[in-house]
Amino acid sequence: MCRATPASLVASAIRSAGRSAWGLVAVAVGAGWAFAAAPDARGAVAPSGSKGIPALKRDYYTSGAATLRAFAPVSKAARNSIVKINLNGETVCLGTVVREDGLVLTKASELKAGTLTCWLASEHEVPAELISMDDEEDLALVRVQAEGLKPVEWAASEVFVGEWAITPGIADTPHGVGVISALPRRIRPQRAFLGIQFDFSSTAPRIEETMAGFGAEKAGFKSGDVITAINGAAMTSREQVMEALRDFRSGQAVDVQVRRGEETIGARVTMMAPGSEELRGRLAPTRPADRMQGEVSQRAEGFEQAIEHNTVLPPWLCGGPLMNLDGRAIGLNIARAGRVATYALPPSLVCRVLDRLESSLPPAPASH
Amino acid sequence: MVMTKSFGAWARRTAAVSVSVVLLAVGRDARAAAKLPARDQPPPPAVPSPARVNPREVPAAFSKPVPESMADLRAMEAHVKALVARVSPSVVAVEVGNSAGSGVVISGDGLVLTAGHVCGTPGRPVRFTFADGRRAQGVTMGVDRESDTGLMRITNRFNWPHAAVGDLSHARVGDWALALGHPGGFDLKRSLVVRLGRVIMLTEGALQTDCTISPGDSGGPLFDMFGRVVAIHSAISASTAENFHVPINQFYDDWDTLARGLLRRPDPTPPAKAYAGVTGETVDGHCRLIDVARNTPAARAGLKAGDVVLKVEGREIQAFSAFQRWISEADPGDALKVEVKRGDQQLSLVLQLAAPPATP
Repeated sequence: MCRATPASLVASAIRSAGRSAWGLVAVAVGAGWAFAAAPDARGAVAPSGSKGIPALKRDYYTSGAATLRAFAPVSKAARNSIVKINLNGETVCLGTVVREDGLVLTKASELKAGTLTCWLASEHEVPAELISMDDEEDLALVRVQAEGLKPVEWAASEVFVGEWAITPGIADTPHGVGVISALPRRIRPQRAFLGIQFDFSSTAPRIEETMAGFGAEKAGFKSGDVITAINGAAMTSREQVMEALRDFRSGQAVDVQVRRGEETIGARVTMMAPGSEELRGRLAPTRPADRMQGEVSQRAEGFEQAIEHNTVLPPWLCGGPLMNLDGRAIGLNIARAGRVATYALPPSLVCRVLDRLESSLPPAPASH
Repeated sequence: MVMTKSFGAWARRTAAVSVSVVLLAVGRDARAAAKLPARDQPPPPAVPSPARVNPREVPAAFSKPVPESMADLRAMEAHVKALVARVSPSVVAVEVGNSAGSGVVISGDGLVLTAGHVCGTPGRPVRFTFADGRRAQGVTMGVDRESDTGLMRITNRFNWPHAAVGDLSHARVGDWALALGHPGGFDLKRSLVVRLGRVIMLTEGALQTDCTISPGDSGGPLFDMFGRVVAIHSAISASTAENFHVPINQFYDDWDTLARGLLRRPDPTPPAKAYAGVTGETVDGHCRLIDVARNTPAARAGLKAGDVVLKVEGREIQAFSAFQRWISEADPGDALKVEVKRGDQQLSLVLQLAAPPATP
């Protein structure tokens, strides 16, 4: 959630920051200023500390309580199409009602082992059951023991940049609002690595060093080997290799061919992501900017198509529908991806995955 | 919108809470700065003039404290949609050395407003990428490191798409704003990222919005609802509501530096009023003295190298800078009660400060 931080702003901070060789710097400054009245007739401005600096009241922020009230008609109409999913009593995500009989889609990676229940708009808590999961798009199908649920109506038209993007919950006003920031696009998987360091003295993809414990080393590659092909595609430059590897997730195996002197050697290498213990700290140093990203979803990458919007949504409020002013679902919130971006899967993709999940269900009422 | 005269200095003095501010360029500055040949230098461009606007261009919903109805929301949406289409062609991704940022073209001949820390220094080569992927070459012009204003120029000849510039004389807290830029650097599949938000705070040197911005956005434009550039993205802090932009009026104030391709550094900090004659360091949250110069107030007070300063005037000291602040903010002749730890001993000393020695 976005916490109330004592305002900080500061010209002097900006000034000192400009001197950093990295263009990034953390500067200790600050001023806790207490807000008091300011000469603004609109009532939206409260503020001012000893120096009288007016600031907007939090309720009037884009996702502030006062602003959200304007969106109540959309939110109220959507209440019965949304459930709040609890795992062992703690809310982990929202769910999007897709069938009248209580089938709900949500974000799969938020559902760990445990007891699932759902809060409904009627303020009842009902049992729920995980039925099936789709790893590719991180969606899960959950059956909720409830009546009176209303499937969301998916928008037929494409989204446009600047369109209101509303994230309703089971209450009268939405959890947050934003606008569509960018049109649907593929979000590549989290970066995974072979575990090699390139020799940067030439543009050829020559291995300078293999990193202990990683796929490339295990596959027997050595310093001096030059990569000639990835999964059968010829490679001539470092950039080409890095680009080709971007499409593979951690755990996936890649066929790598190298030239060692006169010899050509091939081997399967398993990719590893920086999340793995050994890689932590070696390839993903924490920069000041990373601390500014806020809370992000554990699985925030690797989607076939995603709409980007700027609603500041905590990870535990993903899984519900993203709506337009017409009350149609323009997406399903699938991840909080960083300071500026929340991703939603577009309706066409959600419906395709839903078909896939439903067709794999046994004919009798499902159980697991 | 009259604010404190020297907001920065005030903020420094009132420093109480430690808050990180991060600048928003991606990557690092290149070491070498290319020199711009003098013969390529056209006469300095004139200061841009703010576009006049007709208040009726903007739906009334934007001037309410908050939108009140679905009709208000629809009017805002239609307006924002049109605005995005109108201003997007003028927004560019910029690459200078190894760092990536954003910028906005404000004249047909290719003047680009950006952040000072995106430019780094004057005379560096720049690669520009427009939202549609079209590229251009150019050079950094002036930089003001204190205000974080920067100017660039596209050197390819063309009538470049450009945005109007505004002014903030009628701007108010609560105004809606549109932030555009390339967070994380240029990505053709994604291109520009659009954010709508409101002005949270406005002072002479800084403008804060709840338009979330991120590294790579630096130098990108903040537009008002008339589609005029009113600020340039500069820095963020921990909260998603702490997004700082350099007000456009700062560019007008700095125009001489920017247009003539000069580099302006911050003024040195004002000399301390009082002087003690010690140097020190902060070790694990303690203020430890490294050196006490002979014939100085510190030596006369009996301070010695290796002493750990525990308290000044009864207040705990946890950093050398804190001790220094006590000294620099006092007047010559003032006496400070200083408690130090020397080995196992704890001593209470009186440090009578003097005027700083004259510099040759």
